[in-house]
Amino acid sequence: MENAIEKSDIVLRNNLIKRDASIQIKGLNKFYGKKQALRNVELSIGQGMFGLLGRNGAGKTTLMKTLAALLQKQSGEITVCGVPIENAREIRKIIGYLPQEFSMYPSMSVGEAMDYLAILSGLGKRDRKDAIQALLEKVNLTEHRHKKVRALSGGMKRRLGIAQALLNNPRVLIVDEPTAGLDPEERVRFRNLLSELAEERIVILSTHIVGDIEATCEDIAILDEGRLLYNGTVEGLLATAQGKVFTVGADRRELSQFKKELLITGMHMQGQKAYVRFVSEQAVYDAKICEPNIEDAYMLYLNQNGVGARALVRTGGEG
Amino acid sequence: MLFFKELKKLVCSVSYLLFVVLITAALYSQGALDFSSERLVEPQPGGNYGIKNEEIPEIIMPAALQALYGEYMENSYRTYPIGLYKNVRLSAEEQMRVAEILSDLTGLGREVFLHAREGTGSGGDGEFIIIGDDVQSDGNGGFIVSPGGAESENRDMGEDLEFHVRSDITYSEFQEQMQRVDTILGGGSEYARESLIGFGAVPVTYDEAVSRYELAVNTDKVTGGYARLFSDYAVAMVLGIFPVFPAVIMSMKDRRAKMSELVYTRMESGAKIVLVRYMAVIVSVMLPVIILSYISNGSVWGCYDGMELDYLAPLKYDLGWILPSVMISAALGLFLTELTETPIAIAVQGLWWFVDINMGYRSVASSYSLFRLSPRHNAGIRSFFRTQDFIDNFRGLLVNRLLFAGLSVAVVIAAIFIYEAKRRGRLNGSYKIKRAFARLGKGILHRRDQPEA
Repeated sequence: MENAIEKSDIVLRNNLIKRDASIQIKGLNKFYGKKQALRNVELSIGQGMFGLLGRNGAGKTTLMKTLAALLQKQSGEITVCGVPIENAREIRKIIGYLPQEFSMYPSMSVGEAMDYLAILSGLGKRDRKDAIQALLEKVNLTEHRHKKVRALSGGMKRRLGIAQALLNNPRVLIVDEPTAGLDPEERVRFRNLLSELAEERIVILSTHIVGDIEATCEDIAILDEGRLLYNGTVEGLLATAQGKVFTVGADRRELSQFKKELLITGMHMQGQKAYVRFVSEQAVYDAKICEPNIEDAYMLYLNQNGVGARALVRTGGEG
Repeated sequence: MLFFKELKKLVCSVSYLLFVVLITAALYSQGALDFSSERLVEPQPGGNYGIKNEEIPEIIMPAALQALYGEYMENSYRTYPIGLYKNVRLSAEEQMRVAEILSDLTGLGREVFLHAREGTGSGGDGEFIIIGDDVQSDGNGGFIVSPGGAESENRDMGEDLEFHVRSDITYSEFQEQMQRVDTILGGGSEYARESLIGFGAVPVTYDEAVSRYELAVNTDKVTGGYARLFSDYAVAMVLGIFPVFPAVIMSMKDRRAKMSELVYTRMESGAKIVLVRYMAVIVSVMLPVIILSYISNGSVWGCYDGMELDYLAPLKYDLGWILPSVMISAALGLFLTELTETPIAIAVQGLWWFVDINMGYRSVASSYSLFRLSPRHNAGIRSFFRTQDFIDNFRGLLVNRLLFAGLSVAVVIAAIFIYEAKRRGRLNGSYKIKRAFARLGKGILHRRDQPEA
């Protein structure tokens, strides 16, 4: 009888989720004491990979935690797959969360840690066994199942983090700065994994590493000081930089002058010569126009919205 | 399933192993794991059966007067104002007031007692040292105080000072005067009205000894008395404080492993998580306690061949006597750690345990007052067989234990609310209590670093 009720409850929930596979955020405000961390954020996130871009301290982590029902909003409305965020118990059933900084009990093995979290996710014995096996396989950790958590590399730990976030087969996966600290190979592998997962769910990827977004997301939002600066497609953002990205070759000695005058997005050295990539409303010096990438567009967009180039390279603080 | 996971998390750790070693060592050091040398023997006529305290004014009044005179002469009074021992030295004016009370109790002039004090030598720093005076009972409830030997040559008082409690004073008046002494001493002395019974020591008679023996054999089935003694040691020595350690460790584990958010975002309710963890702490503490209680009790089973023993006695006392103390200690550990995210619970519980133990210092024999963390029933050799004392105080013990069990449940419920609030971000960040504790910690460290003036 109880089983039947539970099953009908799951069917109802799944139907509700199928009807509304999106996240709606309206007029969201969040304060830490007197400091406003989110300012009137309006967002609509559909199925697939969604990138949340912003400097450190822009409010990304606050938004992620609010969506994971870990933080209270001061005002505004949030629904996740039709479920109001205030209904934390229901929200927890449909989201998977990978925090920016996390670990697991170091003395537990990979399998034990997954089993512990699966129990907390309300999975039965057989479901736990199947889910853990499938997820460890998905994140390529099957052969490390008996390895202690403390013995895992940074990349393995991140992959384990993704696996634990998928234990309840969530409709929404929230990953906060997942590639920070990973080597290039691990980073590419991780991006591919996220793209794969986004085929059947909403995946929100928060990062300050622009390359992660370019490689994986169609839709993005840019946050700065709690304000939503941009909400649209990656192509849309690239289009804003079309015809505004240039390269110029110059003597190394001229570099300091360039740095003062231009919004530089990249450079490389060849002997005494420096090749500088920059964004500008118009061509300067003997610069040649080139195709913008997401990093150029992002820098230009921030610059156009009053965020100085110097501030862009500054790091520190929680997102 | 979650329970076994939590239990394993706690038990499979070096800190837990250390915990078990510590409680075993503490109980072993007190001889509480082997009672085979303390055997219950059927009393034989003409033996010594120990002493007991009774409220018999004829015994209490002269004994208390003798003690007061001795302390007055030395100007050194034993008190336990907040349960801790304190030696009190009175000013000249206060000593004069004590002399007046002695005068009032004995009918001798105040000057007699003042003169007796003048007959003692001065310590050079304003204090007096008694030289050789010897207080002896005259056999009729009075006392003869003889001056010392060689040193008495230079003293004025060459004659014996003989005194006894005035025959026309009632016990009630005597209690009132003694209470005044207690007030002068700042409270907590043996002269306080409720403590005077301590002077009423009388020998146990043969009939009483036989009655005690029969109660121990028939009601306690022998093993009950040993289980009681083990419980007394276990709670007083270790279990009034040690359970706070696994509780704090359990509570801090998620945060230390940076795992809090992974657990917070799970489906299970905060109530279930906190309750299961609490149960895991209780079971992890009680498991070795039950084993040790059986080791202790089993040490005497072989001494009573042919007698009917209660083999469940250790378990009954473990659950009825020890468990509530473990529950409150663990509950406080969980609650304060959740609230402050610091191990402050160890200090709080440690202080409570220390004060509680010292408060009971003068009443080790039996103390079951309502708010005692560690009920006592232990007063010297074979006192644990005082089954009648236990029966007489059983109701008090029951209320005390139920109170602590109930209080533990309330504290755990409070911990659940804190956990849920943190999980929803209502107490995250720099909330006031956490900041206050952090400031307190910094303040203590800062003060410790300051050079002493």
